[in-house]
Amino acid sequence: MKRAGIIMAGSMLVAALQAAPADFGREVLPILSDHCFKCHGPDEKARKGKLRLDTKEGALRTEKPVLIAGKSSRSELIRRITSKDPDVMMPPPESKLKLAPAQIAAIKSWVDAGAAWSKHWAFEPPQRAALPAVKNTKWPRNEIDRFILARLELEGLQPSLEADNVTLLRRVSLDLTGLPPSQVELAAFLKDPSPAAYESAVDRMLASPRYGERMAWDWLDAARYADSNGYQGDGDRTMWPWRDWVVRSLNHNLPYNQFTLEQLAGDLLPNATDEQRLATGFNRNHMINGEGGRIAEENRIEYIFDQTETLGTIWLGMTFTCTRCHDHKFDPITQRDYFSLFAFFNNTPVTGGGGDPQGAPNLIVQTEADQLRRAELQQRFDSEVAKLTELEMKRFPREEKQTAADSTAAKELPEAVRKTLARAAAQRDAKSLDELVTQFEKPAPEYGVALKSLKAAIEARNGFEKSIPKVMVMAEMGKPRETRIFERGVYTKPTELVNSATPASLPAMSTNAPRNRLGLANWLLEPQHPLTARVTVNRHWQLFFGNGLVKTSEDFGVQGEKPSHPELLDWLAAEFVSTGWNVKTLHKRIVTSAAYRQSSKFKPALQERDPENRLIARAPRFRLPSWMIRDQALFVSGLLVERIGGPPVKSYQPEGIWAEATFGNKQYQQDHGESLYRRSLYTFWRRIVGPTIFFDVAKRQTCAVRTGRTNTPLHALITLNDVTYIEASRAMAQRVLREAGTDDAARISFAFQLATSRAPKLDEREVLLKRLDVLRREYLRDAASAKSLLAVGESKRDETLNPADHAAFTVICNLILNLDEVITHE
Amino acid sequence: MSNSNLIAENQLMVNRRQFFGQSATGIGTAALASLLASNSGAAQKMGGAFGGLGTLPHFPAKAKRVIYLFMNGAPTHTDLFDYKPLQQKLHGKPVPKEYIEGKRFSTMTGNPDGKLMLAPVEPYQQHGKCGAWVSNFMPHTARMADHLCFIKSMHTTQVNHAPAVSFFLSGSETPGRPTMGAWLSYGLGSDTDSLPSFVVMTSVSKGTTCGQIFYDYYWESGFLPSQYQGVKFRAGGDPVLYLQNPSGIGAVERRGMLDDLAKLNQMRHAEFGDPEILTRIAQYEMAYRMQASVPELADISKEPQPVLDLYGPAVKERGTFAYNCLMARRLIERGTRFVQVMHAGWDQHRSVTTELYNQCRDTDQPSAGLVADLQQRGLLEDTLVIWGGEFGRTPFIQGELSNRPQWGRDHHPYAFTIWMAGGGVKPGITYGASDDLGMNAAVNPVHVHDFQATLLHLLGIDHEQFTYKFQGRRYRLSDVHGKVVHEIIA
Repeated sequence: MKRAGIIMAGSMLVAALQAAPADFGREVLPILSDHCFKCHGPDEKARKGKLRLDTKEGALRTEKPVLIAGKSSRSELIRRITSKDPDVMMPPPESKLKLAPAQIAAIKSWVDAGAAWSKHWAFEPPQRAALPAVKNTKWPRNEIDRFILARLELEGLQPSLEADNVTLLRRVSLDLTGLPPSQVELAAFLKDPSPAAYESAVDRMLASPRYGERMAWDWLDAARYADSNGYQGDGDRTMWPWRDWVVRSLNHNLPYNQFTLEQLAGDLLPNATDEQRLATGFNRNHMINGEGGRIAEENRIEYIFDQTETLGTIWLGMTFTCTRCHDHKFDPITQRDYFSLFAFFNNTPVTGGGGDPQGAPNLIVQTEADQLRRAELQQRFDSEVAKLTELEMKRFPREEKQTAADSTAAKELPEAVRKTLARAAAQRDAKSLDELVTQFEKPAPEYGVALKSLKAAIEARNGFEKSIPKVMVMAEMGKPRETRIFERGVYTKPTELVNSATPASLPAMSTNAPRNRLGLANWLLEPQHPLTARVTVNRHWQLFFGNGLVKTSEDFGVQGEKPSHPELLDWLAAEFVSTGWNVKTLHKRIVTSAAYRQSSKFKPALQERDPENRLIARAPRFRLPSWMIRDQALFVSGLLVERIGGPPVKSYQPEGIWAEATFGNKQYQQDHGESLYRRSLYTFWRRIVGPTIFFDVAKRQTCAVRTGRTNTPLHALITLNDVTYIEASRAMAQRVLREAGTDDAARISFAFQLATSRAPKLDEREVLLKRLDVLRREYLRDAASAKSLLAVGESKRDETLNPADHAAFTVICNLILNLDEVITHE
Repeated sequence: MSNSNLIAENQLMVNRRQFFGQSATGIGTAALASLLASNSGAAQKMGGAFGGLGTLPHFPAKAKRVIYLFMNGAPTHTDLFDYKPLQQKLHGKPVPKEYIEGKRFSTMTGNPDGKLMLAPVEPYQQHGKCGAWVSNFMPHTARMADHLCFIKSMHTTQVNHAPAVSFFLSGSETPGRPTMGAWLSYGLGSDTDSLPSFVVMTSVSKGTTCGQIFYDYYWESGFLPSQYQGVKFRAGGDPVLYLQNPSGIGAVERRGMLDDLAKLNQMRHAEFGDPEILTRIAQYEMAYRMQASVPELADISKEPQPVLDLYGPAVKERGTFAYNCLMARRLIERGTRFVQVMHAGWDQHRSVTTELYNQCRDTDQPSAGLVADLQQRGLLEDTLVIWGGEFGRTPFIQGELSNRPQWGRDHHPYAFTIWMAGGGVKPGITYGASDDLGMNAAVNPVHVHDFQATLLHLLGIDHEQFTYKFQGRRYRLSDVHGKVVHEIIA
């Protein structure tokens, strides 16, 4: 098991230097929690020996005391944790837990210093610390750097030099837009000597619509967005207008408090707009179980569990899942807290039955184009109705107030036909029109044609209406459901009644706030809330540095990892709130800091001290997300089609993936043309079998705020062999051949620069040039192979290019796109 | 001992030669070390030959690898293995109340009150020296009885398929936890660097009307790093996705390209010093090796006919259970740690007199053949084979007694049978028992978590000590439960 080695070792080191007692909240409490709370924590039912160590009253009890402040040698707890006697020692042998000597020392030092008690750090409101003093006053560019540098100086470490301009622009461009800089952007930046050049590049990226598309991905992971229901059946849903809402909101820099309010309770805002109701689709992104034999209520409860736990992870940074069944073992969250939170979501008129992927309550979402199309279809319908009515006036002459059926000409007609004729043309449906067609098509061809035209107009209109997406949204029932605690989380075992309320151990909701989702959202956004702002800025930090200041970005509880820079986290949280929850301002502050602008080169000595780079004495270096690697390949090859929003697209996928997973029930119908080259964000996401081209991505089944980052052969096979990457290599080679002249060295340099943003060094270029020679000879000899390589992918190739040249450069580009440097955040 | 190590050893030599001979990239010993440790990031101590935790095994392992024949849909224990004369006697009579009181059944059964008992469809006989009862549905399995350990007192808490399968494989009924194969790859590492250490294969009998979907969370790595998730070999196309070079790029071009890729990455490493770059070089090399090792694995042309015959007539047909069983053997021979062979279609709600015959025809001989094949190669000794589903089926009828062609049985979590073979499990025994009607686990009940604890124990792992901390909690395969069933361990 991996432990927080360096940080612990680091802070120990500092502690030793200063000879200060161990800090309770940051050092001692986590140790107690990890080793003792399971039996001596908040869960009353699991508590042993009537001893409770998670509260001050319990740990420092005066009756049968276990801790004597200032006297570790006389404290029972210390005797127990240092004992070797299996009957006495704590934790007991059967727990398989063991305290490390350093951990015992920390507890002792805290007891000897007086055993001062405080709450877990994350449950106290953030304090905006004064900016720490630093020796190297030249290095900091903004407040962030003061905190980073102060810590480094304390450890006797130096920050790294600033990264070179090319690396820096590429890094920030990938971070803010998800794409590398274009050659034009790069050249302009390198030419601009002004000290403000970097900042203006950042401003340009923040204002680019690509920004929202890049930032949306992580929010979709958290919001478990997908294009199908999940479970058996896995019906397709149309939640994508909600996804587009996210992109729009991020691009407009909707303040995070408003972003939160609208998604959690947009429907409850005064005079809620459709846009605000659309935002509440957030809470309906959960999976839907349409399996036969499932009980509707069981499903409905599952959905609310999911909503409750998603809120817990995203806004509170707390894991609530355990508390479905019992009080939390470590954090001060009870089962009652869980169901009180659950109660806020228990008032939506969702039935839980069936697997309707557009189940009520829903919102019909249309674009301007849709509205135009609707008007067009209506016009067509009206004109067909008018034409038919006019014909019928002639065919079935009658009094003004009579219907066609009353006409003497209709007397002999069958009953069903007369019934239809009794209704005005505009009131008839396609089926009844069909009967008229059968009756009149032969005897009256002109009338028959008019009937058929109206029928076609009706069908076109109906088809269109069906294609308009319905987004599942939230609504509140007039009379709320009652919520009861379920024994062991089982929905058939309701016990005590609870009211909607926020967890008791966190600051209370204001008394006049409504006890509904709106009140809940406002409570999260109170400036003094200990968690929301911290958890949020931490997730944003993670975007840029690979890890959060609290590495366990999903868990700020007692068992979560301690922040590497607690004062910085608090400062950022306080600042975030005071700027009006301004996300772009936060992002700008981060990317313009000296900490961010460092080089990512490793230093051997540092590598030993801080292998995970938690102290940020250099910029982080990590593999780009797989979706970004795909977007980048499309971008540098010139294939990328940039268009914001719309229904999801189905790009290349190996044959049979869906069919195999669903016994042939789902067949993948790949799109063609521009849909193959849209940004990854728009890829159709089937829950039971996600897109195969991505790796290390969230499953989009439940909320995920942190995804793994691994390095496996399967990833290599994708970027080496998938059609998307080969086609991108081919298109990129075509760019090279067309734009870089005829000199091979210049062409290689151009290709290299497209992907890495820098010119190759001589020895690098030499390797590629030699390879190019070999490849070109092979493809000259083997024209058939060249031809088949150039046929990969559906985009057209410039047939005037020499096939051997083009094929050889395709392999070279494939190689370049697989360089560690290209797929890495440098 | 077994030839698996020989194959691995030989491949390793070839690979080393290939890498250093042909590529001549001058990558030093650091790269070699990283080549051999297929883990990402920080170097870890070796458990298996490649990767794994240094702390495992906790004690000497009896089993080195596992083949889990997972029967999706829940086989009817009462028609196959759990012989109950009283069930025969009560055929057509209402279920005695005392057997079902307070039990919850699926919504299809609802209240079981008044449901009629249904005798086993086929007769039973005793087999082998051990005298195990096996029905005529399973003649091949019956012949292997003396090598098998039947557990007849299995029980679970789940009554729906997906949660119950997930419960067996990951210890939790909801997705998100690591599955057995992922735990073992993570903890024990791999004995191969040319093939994944955790492989999954799936199949379904032809003509099955009620097949269960194979969710990819049945082999997920949960919160463990994703390199430990099962690699699903596909029934059609390449067994591993993206295994084929693109058309027009041959082996020679690819090798040359990878050599240069490694060279350029090596230059980058010299400048940046990030060990992850070396790992990446190693992973690209393993990808290359898999391009050769997977087709070699799938090439069964050199298997002698008598061996193929053990697995039955469908063995050469890709995507069949028989083919997958043969692949399972070939995989573990080559160093794969955990092979999960899943076969769907056991959900006989209305087909115990019809489709059940197909299920047995397709799975009986290959399962028995696999055990026999391992046995004759001396591999059964340290390879654990498990056969079983996610729950059992009701001893009473689903459907009308008068309509024999549509007889069926509903989901039943309270008692069912699995068997295990090899890997340190006592052969030729039956452990535990259900009551007189096969309704409830009555003697020595074995819960799913007990089964998981026992499986880990056979692999030399203390299930309580093998934990992974995530979201502030130490997680285990056996959740917070489980007792090792020592009585079945040889």
